[in-house]
Amino acid sequence: MSDRISIVVMVDAVGALSDRTLHNGNLSLVDDGPASRHQGTPDLVTVVSPGQIVQWTPIHVDVQTPVEIQAIEFLPAGAVPAPAGPDAAPGTAAPAAVPAPTVDATDSGGHENYDLLVWEGVVPYGMTPGVPYRYRLSVRLHEGPNAVLHVDSPALLRV
Amino acid sequence: MAQQHGIIVLFDVENALKERTLAGNTYWFDNMKLFGSAGVGTEKLVTIVPGTYFSDGSQATEQVLNWLPAALGAIPPTVPRNYLAEQERADDRRTLDELASLDAEGGVEEADVKRLQRRVGKRARPGTGRGLTEGKLLDVTGRTTGSAAAYNYPAPVITDITGQAVVEKIMYPAQYGSPDMIYDGWYWAATVDTSRPGVYPYTMHVQLHELVEQGGEMVWRSVDLTCESSLKIISDPKRNGFTGAGLGELPLPAVPAAG
Repeated sequence: MSDRISIVVMVDAVGALSDRTLHNGNLSLVDDGPASRHQGTPDLVTVVSPGQIVQWTPIHVDVQTPVEIQAIEFLPAGAVPAPAGPDAAPGTAAPAAVPAPTVDATDSGGHENYDLLVWEGVVPYGMTPGVPYRYRLSVRLHEGPNAVLHVDSPALLRV
Repeated sequence: MAQQHGIIVLFDVENALKERTLAGNTYWFDNMKLFGSAGVGTEKLVTIVPGTYFSDGSQATEQVLNWLPAALGAIPPTVPRNYLAEQERADDRRTLDELASLDAEGGVEEADVKRLQRRVGKRARPGTGRGLTEGKLLDVTGRTTGSAAAYNYPAPVITDITGQAVVEKIMYPAQYGSPDMIYDGWYWAATVDTSRPGVYPYTMHVQLHELVEQGGEMVWRSVDLTCESSLKIISDPKRNGFTGAGLGELPLPAVPAAG
């Protein structure tokens, strides 16, 4: 077992913005885990072990487009949390059951800069084996009212 | 991952040549307004460079700048570079065809010959400038022209980037070869040291080309001018997206959603 698993979030920002979705091939998730499923799709299931560090890194297909991860929220049973961020469309989901802590991404120039955030964490020992923990991955592309897109399909799985 | 900076420098070539200055004839445009670039679309662009560093102080984000020159009133830069050469050749072929068809019964009209003489066009020799080859004078539609007002200026060429931001080693500009012939196969780019926040001006050296008559022939003479812009460097610490501080456990729910 390696100490660390990297998940790379590749985004075609122009495609995603014009389609208004991360589907249609605009998002590809790939990790370096040995037993992961659905590599290269938004449905990636990453097999993890307690104590491992999981790190998510966004990569833009077009290098002059802004692609950052705005939030990663694990979805609890029962309710679907509202998409993260003030730019999310209202009324699209039930209220947040487990509100994710919002980390301030304001830079010293007073602008929101999600490049400041490092998305990594340790897999807890209390994670139930055999059950996929799906998460909502919210990607921020520029700053406009339609800048944030998300998928609910990827998951971590302890075997 | 931080996006790369694109900086377009648009020149009003005709007026810059007339006034012998880029002041008032230059428009800067970058893609960093969302992080605080100021003066986008004007002559007074301040490009924001938002740097980041890790808790040990090391630089965490590599910021890359790319400069692309453009000219007002010229053929759009997206048109392939061989457009003018192709047009020139096609025009020569048409003229030759017509010349051949003149050789008909009843002799050759002088007016027809004069017309074709005009069609042959004028050629301009490259002067001391860079990257220019001898060619016919063509207007933006690719037709031969003898009119000084109608011809198409060669694209402006960035020849150097200097100034405080370079002297103080804030950025490391260089000219690189590129497979993209849109910019003649060359482009200027730089990486930035974001560890020293502040505003750092820089000077861009640009070569324009003007058509002059010299010893009975047309010559492209290079005209070297400069314009100015600045970088505003800021730098902020990286932080964990889940905790807002250092590394912690992933915030997993007690019971995950089904599916």
